[in-house]
This record gives sequence, structure tokens and C-alpha cells, in this order.
Amino acid sequence: MKQFKRLAAVAALGALMGTTAMAEGLSTPNLAYRTGPFAATGIPIMNGQADYMAMLNARDGGIGGIAIDFSECETGYNTEKGVECYEKTKGSAIVTQPWSTGITLQVLPKTNVDEIPILAPGYGFSPMADGAVFQWAFNTPLSYWDGASIILKYLSEMGDLNGKKVAFLHLDHPFGKEPLPYLEMKAEAMGFELLPIPVGLKEMQNQSAQWLQIRRERPDYVVLWGWGAMNAGAITEAAKTKYPMENILGVWWAGHDADLKLVGEDGKGYKSVSWSFPNPDAPVMADVKKYVIDAGKSQTNPEEMEGVFYSRGLVISAILAEGIVVAQEHAGKPDISASDLRWGLENLNLTEERLEELGLTGMVPPFSTSCSNHTGHSGGWILEWDGAKFVKASDLIMPDSEAISELEMAKAKEYAEANAPWPVNEDCQM
Amino acid sequence: MLYRTAGQFKTSYQADQALFPVRQDAVLLAVILAFAWVIFPLTASEFTFQTLLIPILIYSLAALGLNLLTGYAGQLSLGTAAFMGVGAYACYKMVTLMPWLNPIVAILFSGVFSAGVGVAFGIPSLRIKGFYLAIATLAAQFFLVWLFEKWGWLYNYNASGAIQVPNLEIFGVYVAGPQASSIVQYFVVLGVVTLLTVVCINLTRGNLGRTWKATRDMDIAAELIGINLMRSKLTAFAVSSYVVGVAGALFVFMWRGAAEPNLFDIPLSFRILFIAIIGGLGSVLGNYLGAILIVGLPVLLNTLPEALGIPISSATVEHLNIMIVGSLIVFFLIIEPHGLARLWALIREKLIIWPFPH
Repeated sequence: MKQFKRLAAVAALGALMGTTAMAEGLSTPNLAYRTGPFAATGIPIMNGQADYMAMLNARDGGIGGIAIDFSECETGYNTEKGVECYEKTKGSAIVTQPWSTGITLQVLPKTNVDEIPILAPGYGFSPMADGAVFQWAFNTPLSYWDGASIILKYLSEMGDLNGKKVAFLHLDHPFGKEPLPYLEMKAEAMGFELLPIPVGLKEMQNQSAQWLQIRRERPDYVVLWGWGAMNAGAITEAAKTKYPMENILGVWWAGHDADLKLVGEDGKGYKSVSWSFPNPDAPVMADVKKYVIDAGKSQTNPEEMEGVFYSRGLVISAILAEGIVVAQEHAGKPDISASDLRWGLENLNLTEERLEELGLTGMVPPFSTSCSNHTGHSGGWILEWDGAKFVKASDLIMPDSEAISELEMAKAKEYAEANAPWPVNEDCQM
Repeated sequence: MLYRTAGQFKTSYQADQALFPVRQDAVLLAVILAFAWVIFPLTASEFTFQTLLIPILIYSLAALGLNLLTGYAGQLSLGTAAFMGVGAYACYKMVTLMPWLNPIVAILFSGVFSAGVGVAFGIPSLRIKGFYLAIATLAAQFFLVWLFEKWGWLYNYNASGAIQVPNLEIFGVYVAGPQASSIVQYFVVLGVVTLLTVVCINLTRGNLGRTWKATRDMDIAAELIGINLMRSKLTAFAVSSYVVGVAGALFVFMWRGAAEPNLFDIPLSFRILFIAIIGGLGSVLGNYLGAILIVGLPVLLNTLPEALGIPISSATVEHLNIMIVGSLIVFFLIIEPHGLARLWALIREKLIIWPFPH
């Protein structure tokens, strides 16, 4: 009986506190994943995000004089935990950062009712770019369809794609299937043969069947749409089967330094598209080092700081911080609400000069958003592994916005119809 | 003291065989029902609804369905999550093909589909038993999840391969989809779970339940006293899959709001099997206790450090959580291998004879 009493006491306490958790400053919770099967890729990004906000707090005392409460809620990339975290943090939050496609899918309709902006930089659902329909969702600066478009553009620069065979090795999961509609459309228009090869969640680490198929079919290029353990699996398998590395092109989540370090020299020539780039000389890196790392406020190690993913974390937080700045100017007060921040994220204008001012030179391409464009379509670079680190292999390549926005509008409309009644932004005329 | 049975005289067989031979049990149940139907809805926050009350009820129902099959009829199954998936996808197809259909009817009807699939995969149980049957149900698990992924018609050819719950209403009140409020969903879940629990209690105490128990305890002896094993096993599969299917439909429509095929993969099956085992096989109460321990406790533990003001990173909390819940499971299984329901039964017996133990 005693145990039950104690349990009941804990339950009552938990229920009470769950609702009253209040924090000082602007609450920008992050649904982090430092545990679970994807932790290896999650930790550098989460560290980058947290370090940038910690740097702002230490250097400027927050943003506009108000501290940023950048708390993390651990999801382990698990959708159930993610929804739990969303419910737990949404009370005082002005933004939510769900971090997995599964969590995004679940949280997306809820944010529309709860009226909290959802910031999913470089992931989530591509039609979220249609800001008139997805009022509360932002996937700056590039969507997956943009990524696919940049890859195809880069490949056709290498030579006409007509008559070529392109294998699309992807995770059999909403994330991996996301670019398929765009690629299928383009395959028809450009005349190449698309060969989708799905990798089940259970086969991530052992892709011998898939690579056997690649060996048999001899595609000219392999487009890799993987995440977590799948990338390391694909890259080691490619090195084993002697598939030419320079013909593999990955999405930005497939450009993790640690995955390539496993094969080292053998991975030379492997490419990945990216909208962020580590620039160790950028002023922001020096500030992070001075105010956060040297002050002992972070667990980040120097090796991690050089990586692509850590800098991507910094860029993500910088985008959010810029959204807060814009929102504060518009609202005329530092203590902004969730709908103020929505306005801020919708009116971002990160020009070359502004990026310089922020100390982010060369770390992210300039872009701007509007009420009808929640992505920004910044364009991206192709990064190449030189055996020890990623280097830029191309200039900035812009996505084929026209074809994409058509597809976006059509799919966004479909989504809104399937989820009727779905409130859309009527004022947005563009 | 609390459980003194003195003065409660039974004057007929009927009274002795009643659901609650001891009056205090009925009172206790009334208190629990009052909490569930009145006090929780009045006091709970959005967070409590979404992370504690609704999931615990749904997981309990799924475990109850499995318990009918494994605990009462003795047929070990590892395909629970797949049968939940059948319920969820059936419900999704019904509400998208027939938008006028009452969602609660759709949820209750979706169990029929999973019952059919369950019977089909239960046929091997006529020839094989124990671990071998578990492997046969594992086939259902793999096959059905594969089907959810590959058969585009099931998810209306959605590009992401996931199903999204549309907004559904009854008499102008949203009960499912993003527009639905938590309290409405809670009442729907509670209503369905209460109804099915009453049905299951009666089933297991009745003729069918006795047939199942006889099959479980010794199938040859059961056959010798004239029980049709085929009917007994297949009805167990049908009823169990029905309950599991309804739980699956609730799982997606009343709680998750969206589902990908791999949600119904084997980890979910194991989770429900663990709830049933830790709660106690062959009991109804155990499913609820098991779900509270496995689903509810981690959520509470996660909020604890913040509530007590202990500064600790959320990743560390998660690691601690796994350790604490894991050791609690081991602890409970050591002090009572037959599960939490048996533990409660022992406590209750001790309370009845207290303060004069023999």
C-alpha cells in the first residue's frame, strides 16, 4: 500500500508541476535527440544550436535585452516522446523545433491549432514552403525538393542526363520518400531513368542487397537520401563494392564528417549538397569559442566544432535568432509572443551584409522569406570529401524554383483539403 | 481494517459468485471510475491528457486484447502491433471512403477487419504451440507492416506513405483530427475502453472464457471433456484481434493523429507484451497496472527533476529514466513473478485478514 501511496504522490506532483513550469526569458525549446540510434548525428547539431544561443546570452545578454531560454527536451528521435515533449513545452514556448520528420508530421496540424510557429530548417514536409497554407510552419532555407533540384542541376552540368540511369537510394520512411514526386516529374522531363531503391529501417546497417542491385544495374549516379546509420552503411558498402565515390551525391543529412571518417581516403570524391558550411575563420566561431567553450558552458569538443553538422546547428539557431530580432522590431517590444515570431520568421531578410554583421560570413547562403514563401530557397553548395574534410566543390547553385513552387502549391492544397477545415492565410496575396 | 469482510454474509450461490463478493472492491472500483469519469476531466491539463491519461487507456486496451489471447487462451502472440495496424488502416480507409460515417462507429467496426486477419493468422495455432506459434505470429508482424508500406491504396497514395487523421465530427463536435480537443478525445477513449473492459470481464467469466482457460491449462484434457479446440482457439484469436484492432484505431485516431507503417513494427508488439506480462497474464486489472508502470511512469519521472528544481540535462534524465524503469520492472518481477495484478491480490488478501494474520 505504501508503494501505491508514494506513486500517487509522485503522480499528483508531476501533474501539478507539468502545467506550471515557467521560465524566465523567451522560451525556444528544442526537441533534441542526444540518445537513441540517431544520437551520433544529433549531438553535434544540438551542441551547435545550444552554443549559439548560449553565446548570445553571454555576449549580448540575449536578444534585444531579453535572455533566451533555450531548453532541450529529449526525444531520442522517438515520435511518441516527441509529442510528449511538444505538449510539455508548448505552454510558454514561442517556437517549436521538432527535429524528426515523424514528429513534424504529428506536430504540424497541432501547431496550426495551438498557433505556435514550427521551425524545421532543412527538413520536414516540402510543401510547407507555401506559407499561405502552412501559416505556422517554416523550413528555411531549403526544402527537400530544392535539394533534389540542386542535385539534378549539378549532375546535368557534368553532362546531359538524357538516357542516363540515376539510382535513388533512400530510407524507406517519410523522410526518404519526400523527394520522390519531384524526381519522378523531372525524370520524365529530362529523360533519365530513375531507379528508386528503398532501404528499410531494419536494413540500414546492412545494405548488401541494395548494393548488389546497384552493381547489377550499373547506374551512372547514386543519389543518397539517408540519415543516421544508413549513411555510414551506404558509404562503407560503396567503398567495398568499389562503386566510384565521385558518382555518389547525398542530401545534406548525408554529409556528416564522422560517417566519411570511417572510410577516410577511400571516401575521396563523395559529394553532398549543403546549405551550410563550416567557416572556422568566421567571427561567430571566435565568439562561440570565447564566450561558451572557453567559459566551460558547453560539452562541445574542438574536433566537433570543425564539422559540417556543428556549423549547421549554429546556422539554425542564427536563423531563429534573426527571426526574433525582426519580430522584436515589428512588435516594438522585446518580450514577443508566438504570433510575433511568426511574423518575424515570415519577414526574414538575410542579405550578404546582414550575414556579415552577424559574423556568419560564408556559412549560409543569403535568403529571404515572405508570407507566401516560408522556405527562402537559398540555394546550396556541393561539398566534396577530400579524404579528411568537406570542401566546397561548386559555387552556389539555385534550385529550379518555378517547377517546385507549382508542385508545392498543388501538394499544399491537397493537404489542406484532406485536413479540412484548415485555416489558411487569406491576407497573403502574392 | 479497510477490507474487513465481517458482516458480509452470502446467502445464495449467486451472491457468492458475483463480480464483487467483497463490498470494498465495488467501492474501490466506484472511486476509480469517479476519478476517471469526473475528477480527471475536471482537473487534468492538456499535457496530462495527451501524455498520461489517453495513452495509458489505449495501451491498457491493447494489452487487454493480447491478454485474452495469451493470458486466457494460452496462445503466445508477437503480432499485436500488426493487428493494431490493421485496425488503424481499416478505420482510416473507412472514414476517407465514407466521410459521413460516425467516427465512433468506424472505430468499433475497424476491429472486425483485424479480427478477420487475426483468425487467418491464428490458423497455424491449430497445429503448433508455444514458441513455435510465436514465430508464426511473427510472420503476421512482418507481412502486415510490409503491406502497410507497399500497398498505396491503404494510405491513399500519400507521397510520404503516412496516414493523417482528418478532422471528424459528431453532432458538430470534433472528435478526431487536429481540431479535436483533448477532453473530447479522452471521453471517447474512456467510453470505448470502459465498454470493452466490461465485455471482456464478462466474456472471461462466462462459457467462452472457461473454454479458453481449459485450452490454456491443458489442451488434450480440454479436448477430452468435449471442448472443440479449433473453435476455442479461433474465437480467442478473433476476440483478441478485435479488441487489439479497436485499440489500434484509437491509438491513431484519438491520440497520435498520424502514423507511419513502421510505427506498427515489432517494438510496439513487445511493449504491449511487456505490459501484459508485467501487469499479469490472465487478468484484466493487470493490463491497467502494467500500462501505468510502462507508459505512465517514464513520463512522470521525466517531469520530476524539473518539478523539484534539480538542474539536470534532459538527455541525462532520459538515461536515468531508462535505468529506473528497467530496474523497477526487474524488482516487481522478482517480488511477484505473476505480475502486478497478483501483487495487488496478495496485498488485498493480507488486508482482509489484517491485523490477525494466521
